[in-house]
Amino acid sequence: MSDLDDFKATYFDECSELLTELEEQFVAIEAGERDADRLNAVFRAIHSIKGGAGAFGFSALVGFAHAYETLLDYVRDGRIELADEVVTLCIRANDIVADHVAAARTGDALPADYGMDEKARFDALARGEAPADDDGEGPDEFDIEFTPVMVSLDSDVEEAEYDIAFDLAELDDTFEIVPMAIDHGQWEVRFTPHRALYARANDPLLLFRELGALGEMSVKAVLNPIPPLSDFEPFDVYCSWEISLVSPTLTEAMIREVFEFVDGDCDIVIVQAGAAVVPAPAPAVEAAPVAPAAPEEAAVSDLLALADDEVAHLLDFTPEPKPAPVSAQDSFEEPPGLSFAELAESLKPATPVQPAAKAKPVALAPAAAESSGEEGERRAVGVQSIRVDLDKVDRVVNMVGELVITQSMLTQQMDETLRARYTELVRGLEVLAQTTRGLQDSVMAIRAQPVKSVFSRMPRLVRELGLKTGKKIKLETIGENTEIDKTVIEQLSDPLTHMIRNSADHGIESPENRLAMGKPETGTIRLSAEQAGGNILIIVEDDGAGINRERVLGLAREKGIVAPDITPTDEQIDQLIFAPGFSTAEALSDISGRGVGMDVVLSNIKKIGGSVHVRSWTGRGCRMTLRLPLTLAVLDVMLVKVGVSPYVVPLSSIVETIQCSRAAFERVPSGGQVLQVRGEYVQVIDLAERFDMETETEADNRFVVLCEAEGSAKVALIVDDIIGQQQVVIKSLEENFERVEGIAGGTILGDGNVALIVDVQGLKTTIVHKNAA
Amino acid sequence: MEALGLRDDLNDKSAVAAQNSLQLIAFSIGDQTYGVEITTVREIRAWNGATPLPNTREFVRGVINLRGTIVPIFDLRARFGDGQTSPTKNHVVVVMSVGDKWVGILVDAVSDILTVSRDDIHNVPEGNSIDSELLNGIVTHDSRMVGLIDLHAVVSGAKMDA
Repeated sequence: MSDLDDFKATYFDECSELLTELEEQFVAIEAGERDADRLNAVFRAIHSIKGGAGAFGFSALVGFAHAYETLLDYVRDGRIELADEVVTLCIRANDIVADHVAAARTGDALPADYGMDEKARFDALARGEAPADDDGEGPDEFDIEFTPVMVSLDSDVEEAEYDIAFDLAELDDTFEIVPMAIDHGQWEVRFTPHRALYARANDPLLLFRELGALGEMSVKAVLNPIPPLSDFEPFDVYCSWEISLVSPTLTEAMIREVFEFVDGDCDIVIVQAGAAVVPAPAPAVEAAPVAPAAPEEAAVSDLLALADDEVAHLLDFTPEPKPAPVSAQDSFEEPPGLSFAELAESLKPATPVQPAAKAKPVALAPAAAESSGEEGERRAVGVQSIRVDLDKVDRVVNMVGELVITQSMLTQQMDETLRARYTELVRGLEVLAQTTRGLQDSVMAIRAQPVKSVFSRMPRLVRELGLKTGKKIKLETIGENTEIDKTVIEQLSDPLTHMIRNSADHGIESPENRLAMGKPETGTIRLSAEQAGGNILIIVEDDGAGINRERVLGLAREKGIVAPDITPTDEQIDQLIFAPGFSTAEALSDISGRGVGMDVVLSNIKKIGGSVHVRSWTGRGCRMTLRLPLTLAVLDVMLVKVGVSPYVVPLSSIVETIQCSRAAFERVPSGGQVLQVRGEYVQVIDLAERFDMETETEADNRFVVLCEAEGSAKVALIVDDIIGQQQVVIKSLEENFERVEGIAGGTILGDGNVALIVDVQGLKTTIVHKNAA
Repeated sequence: MEALGLRDDLNDKSAVAAQNSLQLIAFSIGDQTYGVEITTVREIRAWNGATPLPNTREFVRGVINLRGTIVPIFDLRARFGDGQTSPTKNHVVVVMSVGDKWVGILVDAVSDILTVSRDDIHNVPEGNSIDSELLNGIVTHDSRMVGLIDLHAVVSGAKMDA
């Protein structure tokens, strides 16, 4: 039972990856990249989801996915044009699949008719050109789930190529062939199990049963290799079978699928009797002549009826005469589960013999690996990943942190005498230092991810929102490659979705209103990410109407969020949209307006130690800024000393450092100091004074660190000493304490002590505040 | 009969004790003894310096590195308004969890582990606001007064302007 649960968990993990992949593919498809690779990726994803769902008995999901898959199939073979409305329908279908997956995961039941409209539209679309197809097929018939796929006569090589979903690295173990050809036909299968097949507790009988479900079957056991008892090795395999299958809708791929689980543990030779001889390197798919579209429903029930008989036959184990011409089999030596070397070897002699006029030889994917047309395939092949518990990664991160500290402690222990005496030890320590550094970088890279993974979900959302609201909206994204810690990224998806919904629903006006106001018809939502000191700023801007302060205030009063006798400032009113239970939507839509949106944003962002700021310009738009901590991100810093304490200043914000004795300070009427640098006057902040620390360093021996704050405004920090540069890992102060003014966070130095990170921007802002007050 | 009765009595008592007793880590500041519930204590370590935090009240001694996490250290003596402790290597930091945060409390020494009954906890006498603000109650143990520290109160109000 727990095993099954494990499998289920893995399946759901996979599903979420596949669903993400679907979204990515559709973003590209929407952008006009309607090539076969993308479609195939989509098809594969849906197919995998369906496959797993069948195994776990999620029948609603299977039913829907099946209908969707059928549609995709028709799109793939060109029966249905991938027009915009089909894309829209597909995207909608992705959501429904996602909902089904979510329902299956939580065990919730969706309404019985959920997704039925879409399913009906699939069927309608499919029927438009292929009246024979019927997707009324229930999920119970999943065992024989493959809808025979129609291939048009002019199916070309390109199409055939992508049907070979090949994983070079896994060539030994698996390969997948999407069902493709249809032929009236009789198929001969020679099945020779290896020892490994039995060792893995596979039972040939189950395979035969499955085969029996595909068509009329007869099986003959080949028993002659069985040696006399004296030579009999009990664990060896002596028996093989020759199976003949007759079914008008049968394809090689369907047969191969039956053997999918024992692939590599047996030799399988599949021959279409009396017809095409497929070239020996088995993964090639033949594009056989197309049969008239078979009435699938009838075929399915026939098959079911036949299956029972055939299984009964099989159980009797009566060897039956094998009607297939032997010659066809003789040319068929190579098993499909080839190693790459074997495959290359076998490629040489094997020339395709293709009696069937329309059949086409197909290039092998591995051989064509250099061709750029295979990019989509290789993307699927090349990016390998494993799922790891984030806790485990964190443990590694922490331990590496300890290691780095220990390493630098060791290095500091090496004084000159030791250095001279133990050269080998010194060399060892140097290598250790390098390796540790490399290790640290790699570990950090595991956690940091570009925000792209969240941003990429947004274009679709915006498009969908545009459709629902009837507004014209375009989304611009900037800074997608900004890297943030994985935990932060995960927490970002919901808030961003809410913010964009809010912009689309409340911010952007209807096209008519926009035109009337002299704005471009299409509204723009800009999503950007940038690093600002120790923070990441995620900004959602729109050029819509801005916040309707009157209405916001009115509603807030009505709901008792603001007391009647209080008059908040404009800025305070803007922030009201984050109050719990607040919603200004006049009509409750399913987009936003349930009043749970924006306070979710605030609480999610606060949870990860960030803050939200909203600024609105009436009639011109609204900007929401998320300020997020850059926890765990690696920062290049300059280590300085203020009083007795170490501080670090982010290197990225440092313009230059000047010795105080050479710096040109000037007094200003307020009593403060300014620094003149190349004709520019810069505000001076004495960190010791600012942080209330005592300093014994003489004024002339101190240093000026000239920093660039937000924009191009500069600020000169005075520190007591400059110690050096290094890379540090930012640690949050808020985790166990709270935000400290002028400090962006902490970091742990080589000696294990904590150094504080100077928040240059924050320092400057507080000064401004003080002046204003 | 008597013996049986006595035993019953004992049993009752220990049952009550299990339900109703409280284990404390007791530590001292000067002559005074204070205690916190043992379950909140994560570890006890010797004072080894802390990086001072600017713009915080005097009872925030700074932050330390606790296996990769930054943990703030509160000077309990200073929190009680008796001026900052001048810590030596013999001073002790008691690391505790308060809510979902970990904090360290700088004390003079950890003295004992006490088991007291919840029934024996007295209210803090009204009068001094610092006492009632920072203590949850008072228990007597071996005729010593042990103040029960209200950790939430101790760690709040750390900011300069707060």
